[in-house]
Parts: sequence; structure tokens; C-alpha cells
Amino acid sequence: MLKALNAVIIIYLLAPILVVVATAFTTTAYPVFPPEGFTFRWFEKFLASREFVESIKVSALLATSSTFIAAILGTSSAIALTRFPIPGKALISALLLSPILFPTIVLGLALLVFSTRIGLSGTFLNLVCAHVVLITPFVIRMVMVSLARFDPAIEEAARNLGAGRWRTFFLITLPLIRPGVLAGSVFAFILSFDELVVTLFLTAPGLQTLPIRIYTYVEYSSDPTISAISTALIAAWLVIGLPVYARFLSVRR
Amino acid sequence: MKARSGAPEGAVPYLLLSPNVLWLAMFMAGAIVMLAGISLQVYEAGKGILDEWTIQNYVQFLSDPFYRDVLWRTLALGAWTTAGCLILGFPLALLLSRLRGMRRSVLYFVLLLPLLTSAVVRTFGWMILLGNNGFINKSLIGLGIVDEPIRMMYTMTGIVIALVEVLLPFMVLALDAALLNIDPHLYEAAQNLGARRARVFAKVTLPLALPGIVSGSVLVFTLAVSAFVTPSLIGGPRIKLMSTLIYQQSMGLLNWPFGGAIAFVMLFTIFALFVLTFRLTARPRGG
Repeated sequence: MLKALNAVIIIYLLAPILVVVATAFTTTAYPVFPPEGFTFRWFEKFLASREFVESIKVSALLATSSTFIAAILGTSSAIALTRFPIPGKALISALLLSPILFPTIVLGLALLVFSTRIGLSGTFLNLVCAHVVLITPFVIRMVMVSLARFDPAIEEAARNLGAGRWRTFFLITLPLIRPGVLAGSVFAFILSFDELVVTLFLTAPGLQTLPIRIYTYVEYSSDPTISAISTALIAAWLVIGLPVYARFLSVRR
Repeated sequence: MKARSGAPEGAVPYLLLSPNVLWLAMFMAGAIVMLAGISLQVYEAGKGILDEWTIQNYVQFLSDPFYRDVLWRTLALGAWTTAGCLILGFPLALLLSRLRGMRRSVLYFVLLLPLLTSAVVRTFGWMILLGNNGFINKSLIGLGIVDEPIRMMYTMTGIVIALVEVLLPFMVLALDAALLNIDPHLYEAAQNLGARRARVFAKVTLPLALPGIVSGSVLVFTLAVSAFVTPSLIGGPRIKLMSTLIYQQSMGLLNWPFGGAIAFVMLFTIFALFVLTFRLTARPRGG
């Protein structure tokens, strides 16, 4: 009974993804499920579209810059929170993780007002500043999990043997938490690449990310090109995400 | 003793935290404070935002029946979505918490896959499924269950169907965390003492899963009332919710003060929910 029920729930959970992937290959002019025939036409149309290809470049550059900053901020915060006795630790970590729960629709409007006032609106830097806020908590979380897995005595031993703070970090700590930093960064990259709501408030001509292109396209029309783009994205995240996920899990045991 | 590089020991954690804290202080706290300020300013069509202070934006949202409906509709969406996620999430979380090794990893990945697929993409999938000529209606008609298509696109029903799916992984992960903490021996003990499965579920599983139920529900409710992508694409411009209204007011009409006021009503609502659940769950134990 429970098994049959769960099978139905899993189908429901994966239904939209399966539908999007299936309709990417349909020969009909609009996305129908089940698809009819088989064609790569929509993928060709997607790659021939200057707007979509251009927006992928914007998204990739944005996600790369944001992830780089988030990895540094997040890793140093995670080390401070797990390795040092500081007063008010619970409160500080709650505040640092709060962007996970904070409504993006509110943050988007707040950042629009803020960036207009300080003269940052309409710039690429503005988007980076916003994305770093949104994705750093995920780096903190993953790195904290990694730090909790190994004994701080190893670091102490290194220090006692005369290694300085930086030497200990680069020779002992960093190699041991690398899977966490990597998993956190990959997750952060994907989140940044997929982010829509906050970006929608801060976007400007020339700064159209891929999710924004998809959103504005889907709002007014519907053709299988969107399915093709989405399928390409899902495939990319599987290829990038699966090995990192597997590695992160295997270190866990 | 070797020469130490840099700061004294006690300052190290603060130096490590400061870049992150400063970043949030500016691009989150600073921005929110500025939004609070602007929500208290006067907006006049044609003139823009004036340098006059007022609480009129809040009064308007909370007193106008049209906007009050928007508030209730948003809360109803949160409640329905949370209920849906609990009902569908519990069986899945039970299964996940009982699996071990490779099978658990696979199911875990099945839950992570939707999380890694953007909400726009998944909502697009639902748009294909929910239309009058979509797969669901065609199947229902083909099976003879209904004669005419059920309207799901541009309705609250459609939004709930899609939003429950979008937020389900969050609920399952929260429930799983609570269920994993239950000692399996408790089930055995209850069964050995003669309790049937339904009774074990009601007397052991459910009470011990309560922390997960509470945290998962608060998380899903918060995400549901503030969700924008799914409600705006499935609901269209006619179904007014707080999130779509914030966007419309501030981006369409450039009325940042009113958009800001709605945003703060949303924040207060969520904050009230947090305080309420904290009060209800933080009772002294054994009472």
C-alpha cells in the first residue's frame, strides 16, 4: 500500500521535469504531452537564437563571479562558527543563514530601492552583490557539515608541531573540507544560475539572464524551444551535480 | 616559540566573520531598512515619491476590501500548500527514513533533482499538463471521468497543484530529519506490547515526528506565501496574490511605497507565524 502510494507521489514530484524533457523532442509546433514524433529542431532553434545564447553568457559570468565571492565569505564564516568559542554563536549563525528563508520578492524590491539610491542600479556588480547574499548561506551549511566531520585535534597537532595559522589552514583544514567547499560552491552556482525573482527587480537591458529570458518568453508564448533549453539545463546540472553529490555523500560515511 | 602571523588569537573569528556580516549588513539589512523608510513615504502618480511621511500605504492595504481579499487569498494559498505538502510528504519521508545505503542515496537524489531544477522550468512543465487541452484533462475525458475539461490554468487549484510539487522536497527533507532521530527499537517495543500498526503510527511515529512537522510546515508556509514564479505563471494576471501585487505595484506602476508596504505586511505575517509556533512548541517538557 505504502509502496504504491509512494510511487504515485514520486511520479507527481517528477512529472513536470519528465514532461519538459519529453516535449523538447516533439514535432508539433507547441509543447504537447505525450510528444509526437522525434526531432532535434527545437535544440537547433535554441542555439540559433542570439538572445538565448547571449543570456547564457550573462548567467554564466554572473554565477561564476557570485560563487567565487560566496565561497570565500561562506567558508570563512563556517570556520569561525565551528572552530571558535564566540558569544552569541546561535544568533550569528541564524542571521547568516537567514537569506535562505527570507522572501525573495521582498529582498528583490528592497535591493531595487537600495541600489537606485546608492547609484548601483543597472550594473552587473549590482546583480553580483544580490546573488552573493542569496547563495552564501548554502556554502556555509555545506562547509559546516564538512568541518563537523573531522577532529579539530588534527589542526591542533599541526599547530603544536609549529605550523602557523595559514599553513595549518592550507595544508590541513582546506584539503579536509574540500568536498564541502566544492559541494557548496556547485550548489551555489546552480542556485545563482537559476535565480529569477530578485534578478527580475534588478535586471536591465544587456543584463538579461537565462531565467529572465525564459520567464518573459513563457509569459506570452509557449513553444518547445523552452522545453529544449530546460532539458539542456537539467542535463547540465545532472552532469555537474551528480559526481559532486556522490563524492560529498561518500565522504560522509 | 614561532612568530605568529597577523592578528591576536581572540580576534580571528571576528575577522573571519566580518566580510560576510558586512556584506549582509549592506545588501540585506541596509536594503530592508531603506525599503521600510520608503513604505512610509507618499507616492503621487505623475510626481513620484515625495518627501512626506505617512502610514497611508499600510492603512490602504489593510482597510480596502479588495486588498484584504488579497491577504486572505495569500494566507489560504499558504495553508492549502502546507496541508498538501504534509499529506504527500509524510509517506515519502517515512520511506526515505527507512531506506539505507544506496537506495536511500537514490531516493535522496530524486528529491534533490527538483530542487536543482529551477522553479520556472518546473512551472512550465505544469503549464503543459494543466491546460484545458493538457495531458490531465485529456486523460480524465478519455477515461470518461469528466465530460468537460476542468479549468486548472489561471485558477487557485492549479496554483496549489503546482506549488505543492515545487515545495514538496523541503517538507520531505524536514520530516526525514525528524524521523531519522526516532530509535527503531521504539517501534519494536510498541509492537511487542501488542500495538497495531495504525496505533504505533498515532502513538509513536506522529508525536516523535512533531518537530519535523512543525519546522517543515513553517518552512513550506513561508515559501508558499512569498512564492512568485509559480503563482504568476499559473495564476496569470487575474489572480491577485501579495507577491504578484508587490511586483505589479513596484515594477508596473513604479509605486515603490505601496509595494514596500505590502512587502512589510508579508514580513509581519511571516514573523507572527514564527512567534506563534515558537510559543506553541517551546512549552516546558513533561507538562
